[in-house]
Amino acid sequence: MIKQLKTLAVVAVATLTANIYAADKPNAEEGKKLYEANNCGSCHALDKKVVGPALRGVNNRRSEEWLIKWIRNNEAFRKSGDADANKLYEEYGKAAMNVFENLTPDQVRHILEYIKTAPAPVKAKGPTENVDGASKNDDGSNLYILLTLIGIFIVVLFILSKVRNTLRRLAAERSGEILDSKGGAIRGLLPEKLSNMNPTVLTVFIFFIVLIVGSTWGYKFGITEVGVQKGYAPKQPIAYSHKLHAGELKIDCKYCHIGVEVSKSATIPSLNICMNCHKGVQKASTAEGDGISPEIAKIYKALDYSPDSANYTKAFGPNAKPIRWVRIHNLPDHAYFNHSQHVKVGKLACQTCHGPIEKMEVVQQWSSLQMGWCIDCHRTAGIDAANNNYYAALHEKAAKDLKDNKNRSKYFTPDGSVKITPAMNGGLECAKCHY
Amino acid sequence: MSNNIKYWKGEEELVKDPAFLASRKNEFPDALPLDEVLGEEGVELNSNRRDFLKFFGFSVTAVALAACYKTKVRHAVPYLVKPEDVTPGVASYYASTCGACSAACESVVKVREGRPIKLDGKTGADIKNGGLCATGQASILSLYDNERLADPIANGKEAKDWAKLDESVTAKLNEIDSAKGRIVILSSTIHSPSTLKAIEDFKAKYKTAEHITYDAVSYSGIVQANKDDFGKAALPAYKFANAEVIVSFGADFLGSWISPVEFAKAYATNRIPTKDKVMSKHIQFESNLSMTGTNADDRFPMKASDEGKYLASLHNYIAEKTGGKMIAMPNAELAGNSIKKTADILLNAKGKSLVISGSNNVAVQKVVNSINMMLENYGKTIDIVNHSNQYKGIDADTDNLLKDIKSGSVAGIIFYGTNPVYNHDTAGWTEGIKKAKLSVSFASTKDETAGLCNYVCPDNHFLESWGDAEPRSGEFQFIQPTITNVFNTRQAQVSLLTWAGVSLAVENDHLKNKGILTQKLAGAPYYHYMRKLWAEKLGEKDFDKSFNSCLHDGVYSVKPAEAKTPAYSGNVTELASALSGGKQGIDLVLYTNIAVRDGAHGNNPWLHELPDPVSKVCWDNYVSLPKQLAVKLGLRDGDTVNVKSGNVSLSNVPALIQPGQANNTVGLALGFGRTAAGKVGGSKEKGFDTVGVNAYPLLSAAGRNWVVSGVEITKGDGTYALAQTQTHHSIEGRDLVRESTFAEWQKNPQAGNDKEKTHVYTIWEKRDYRKDGSPNHLWAMAIDLNACTGCGSCVVSCSIENNVPVVGRDEIRLRREMTWIRIDRYYSFRNNNSDKEIEGNYVTREKEIAKFDKADKGDYDHWEKIKVVHQPMMCQHCSQAPCETVCPVLATTHSTEGLNQMTYNRCIGTKYCGNNCPYKVRRFNWFRYNDNDKFDFHFNNPLGKMVINPDVTVRTRGVMEKCSFCVQRIQEAKLTAKREGKTPKDVEVRTACQRACPSNAIVFGDLHNPDSEISKLYKNERGFGVLEEINVQSSVKYMTKIRNTETV
Repeated sequence: MIKQLKTLAVVAVATLTANIYAADKPNAEEGKKLYEANNCGSCHALDKKVVGPALRGVNNRRSEEWLIKWIRNNEAFRKSGDADANKLYEEYGKAAMNVFENLTPDQVRHILEYIKTAPAPVKAKGPTENVDGASKNDDGSNLYILLTLIGIFIVVLFILSKVRNTLRRLAAERSGEILDSKGGAIRGLLPEKLSNMNPTVLTVFIFFIVLIVGSTWGYKFGITEVGVQKGYAPKQPIAYSHKLHAGELKIDCKYCHIGVEVSKSATIPSLNICMNCHKGVQKASTAEGDGISPEIAKIYKALDYSPDSANYTKAFGPNAKPIRWVRIHNLPDHAYFNHSQHVKVGKLACQTCHGPIEKMEVVQQWSSLQMGWCIDCHRTAGIDAANNNYYAALHEKAAKDLKDNKNRSKYFTPDGSVKITPAMNGGLECAKCHY
Repeated sequence: MSNNIKYWKGEEELVKDPAFLASRKNEFPDALPLDEVLGEEGVELNSNRRDFLKFFGFSVTAVALAACYKTKVRHAVPYLVKPEDVTPGVASYYASTCGACSAACESVVKVREGRPIKLDGKTGADIKNGGLCATGQASILSLYDNERLADPIANGKEAKDWAKLDESVTAKLNEIDSAKGRIVILSSTIHSPSTLKAIEDFKAKYKTAEHITYDAVSYSGIVQANKDDFGKAALPAYKFANAEVIVSFGADFLGSWISPVEFAKAYATNRIPTKDKVMSKHIQFESNLSMTGTNADDRFPMKASDEGKYLASLHNYIAEKTGGKMIAMPNAELAGNSIKKTADILLNAKGKSLVISGSNNVAVQKVVNSINMMLENYGKTIDIVNHSNQYKGIDADTDNLLKDIKSGSVAGIIFYGTNPVYNHDTAGWTEGIKKAKLSVSFASTKDETAGLCNYVCPDNHFLESWGDAEPRSGEFQFIQPTITNVFNTRQAQVSLLTWAGVSLAVENDHLKNKGILTQKLAGAPYYHYMRKLWAEKLGEKDFDKSFNSCLHDGVYSVKPAEAKTPAYSGNVTELASALSGGKQGIDLVLYTNIAVRDGAHGNNPWLHELPDPVSKVCWDNYVSLPKQLAVKLGLRDGDTVNVKSGNVSLSNVPALIQPGQANNTVGLALGFGRTAAGKVGGSKEKGFDTVGVNAYPLLSAAGRNWVVSGVEITKGDGTYALAQTQTHHSIEGRDLVRESTFAEWQKNPQAGNDKEKTHVYTIWEKRDYRKDGSPNHLWAMAIDLNACTGCGSCVVSCSIENNVPVVGRDEIRLRREMTWIRIDRYYSFRNNNSDKEIEGNYVTREKEIAKFDKADKGDYDHWEKIKVVHQPMMCQHCSQAPCETVCPVLATTHSTEGLNQMTYNRCIGTKYCGNNCPYKVRRFNWFRYNDNDKFDFHFNNPLGKMVINPDVTVRTRGVMEKCSFCVQRIQEAKLTAKREGKTPKDVEVRTACQRACPSNAIVFGDLHNPDSEISKLYKNERGFGVLEEINVQSSVKYMTKIRNTETV
């Protein structure tokens, strides 16, 4: 018994020390969490100069002690007269880094460990799918291909039959037979039953077939093409790349599109949001040469801001002129759509409707935005009823129904899963979107 | 008790006017208005087969071409630097003060993307809790009036540069000042402390300057009487909430008298019958049938010039009992001893009663003061200690000024919020202004007076201005700008201060320091001026915080002085000769219409389109005639009359037979006949016809007295069709309103509402939205006919909220008004004599109503003693809706939350739904009002479109539309709850009509929430559904009207 207790005590002590030891040793995983929790990524990237310097290799450039002082309170550190610190401050246009006194030195060490050990990025592959020319993917273009193919086949068939007829005539001439002179090329194509028909009836028959095919195509064209701007990817006044910002730099969509959780419109960011980073990040990528990127310069021009002055306040110059972005998603006036309903309440990812936006160099309209497209989703998407008080009654009722084996069929979505969909809560009613 | 009152809406129903009978048959006035659409372009309207093929071919080609049309490139322009408190797509609300009239109601401005789109009453305050009158709400459109002056005018020319204008005005002022010439600022009543200080600063600079107050609609009589009796030249504050008996002699206190929103709110608190409280009693003596009169429990028609006589009798009855001084006059009495009875009722409610008079006669007001003193009402229902600051103008001051200016003794005149050329003495002022060396107007449009001035320095709209107000002493309110200046205008106060040489430069602008204000904000200098004044009031300590909290709340009040009985020095004994009255002939009683009021908002189409609460006439004023006089003069509706009084005459004024009009009196509204209002209200310069006739010359001729005695009325030339909405929706004699008396109600809470239920059938047996609907919500509305005064505030509010277009006079004549909510006004004759032949019938028909009419027998008493019920009517959102079943394209459907939905983009305009609606609440959209220049009511220009609510579709022509229960507000409230994880019970929705109602007559809510106000009202015994016998299961319940009177 005592022995057992002793063993237990030893194990306990060992575990405890292990824990203490673990706390002492910089932990990259812990560091990553802290890095994210403190939004270091808003101003820094590992391999790229953003607002602040690129962080990879910082462990080699500066001593750990220097870094801890700088990170925890760069302001005090600069005031203490450290030459390197002040030089760095000047170098980055006097854009002061936030003070992080809430971080303990150990926590800073974790972050540094994370920076040291973070995996190098895999060399980005070329775009795997052509997001710019997405018009090739839509249904309309498939129809064109089909129609072209049908056309080619008809021509080929026509030529072949012509050849066949010629050969037959030749063969007949040789054998001395006289052929019915009426047999035209088209007739030759048709099955025997049809080719014997009265020419008028035949013409009417063919006319109707063409009419039916034509109207079907016209109808399809009407509903999928007219007014549908899927794939619309206009040139914008600034060649802003979502691929770079959202994809590579992993800036949260909500950082710029501030309205998305509170408003009906996600909002196109105002330029002060751009300036949060771009008062520091001014240069073009090395491939394009050194000076200020011509695209970023457009922001400065719009704000009438001089990048040399480097004292950006939330103001703009006297000749400021707003940027006229080209609107991509144009819902008609009679349809009401609210982003916050879908993003905040419905917890949808942006990509659900906007497609792989983080891969788009030029943004394009990914979804058709037709009513059918809305309705399909309202029939199949689930409401997170369990975690929102508003839906408590609905959730309770559904749970009870399912338990009691009542109205079960009501909770099956068209794709076969069991959930509470917007449609079950009146999400298909006209006045939910039209008023 | 089931009463057998027969209701009717217009005389045409009684006389079975052939035109009315013909129009009644058709749901819609005529077929598609092709004549109007195509007529002008010379298109032959008699179409044949060839035309059909042409049209067909054109349509097909047009559709094909439309399909090829490349979608327009649209732009999205974000902010450069987004203001912190603006999120595109989310409305912000700012506390402010309504500046439409001097009542200065506390209000909340709804702002979307930097533009104010709705003005509502502020909730949560002690007085005027919520609600705002029609005029106040509509004033938001004046902000977007493209006829406002875009630049100041100097000597007839546009002057873009304010600095240059200031230079020349200052030079002239200095010149006048050094020559000791008189400078007068003629303003309407100003109760803003900072503006008054600005005027003081101006007077300090120019020693000869003086400030005279002129109110077009004046309360000079009361002010003078109070000055003489109490030594206070002011209007008292009236506390209708404390009054159990209200006796009004011609004061339309619910409609347009002094502060109608405040009064209606207070009045309504005692009008709902409850078990634990006495319902107030309201007695009205008047000539015109005012909206207030229609709400009275007992209304006695009275010849206006006899008012003094009757008031003196009332005074003497009361003096007899209370030991007061008597007026040496014989007692005059109305039929049925009503004066004596009123005196007895008043004596029983000492200290809990209120007697008021709308007269502008000092003697009459002195008698009223004396009556209220004897009844011990001062300090309880009337407060002269903490008095009202409204309408301080004394008529004599302006009359004297006019004499002076005509004699050339006034060198400089500044018009601030006044337009005397229109509403005082047109000829006199035209002559006078020309004699002044300097004349300046602050009018924001080139109105009648401004057109004659050397300089017009357009004032900001109040939504662009900083300001404060003190409508009642000790109660301060604030105005904050909610939009930067639309035009190159400047706040009048800034103009005055600039000319006074007061430096408005800001040394330490904390907004600028924070980098918020770098652009020039025109109102900002005044903000700092105002702050300086308020720093004195609030104290320097934590001033930023205290001042900002004042702005946030919109109010600041100091503890009122004790409202004790004031020292009274009045003497009524010598007034006998001034009161005797009783002039022969016909009295013309002038009044102000509920919407257009004094005419200052004459260019506002929403106000012209709002039907008068009683006559239901829009877009004109008219002479209202009593039936007896009309018969005597051989006049019918649609005739015109000439009105002559002394040397003032108005010719060919449209006439209207008005039930309830006292015999030998006629009524005429002021505020119409503007000649320089603009394209809506009329403008000579621009070639737009005036709207109605200007009755101010009659007011001036009668010494600013509302009653013009001994007018001559003669039949005019020709006829004139008034745009009157009263019988546009025939009720087919059905029983739609219910009423009873307070005494009956006390015995049986279901009194008047215990109609025998008829057997009901349904074709929707398997459908019951009330049971199978959404587990979350079931929306419903309740309207209390006791609280509804008929003011029409809800109508304007609904139009603003839901982008309902103004259609204009001609379209209303064609029964094509678009308002989603209307207020039906029902007249009824009283069966208080011995009409044995009609009793017990439940459904009434015109022929039965006509049996009450004994006019043929020369008895017009019942025409004067008409009773009125107002009933707001909008889509009833029937659970078993007749409209839904007849729509061939499912454009109108039902939601699980109990809403009758209307989907415009589905609607093909068959109008079947409108035909099948028993409540006649569906409106067909005949034109594209927002893009058609024939409807030039601000909706068709880019500036006017700024007022459009972006959450509601602007409907195109060819679709049906109707009340949606403000579904956009429901959806928004639900979404907020979802975002915040609140329960469905926490969803609070207030519809636009409910929000606007000053008397809280409309309640909207969720029946699935048992604690909601609506759920409680649905259990009220007074509740009934209109036409519930046809079993459409409407979602709107009305509360039976209860009158505190002997017989209904």
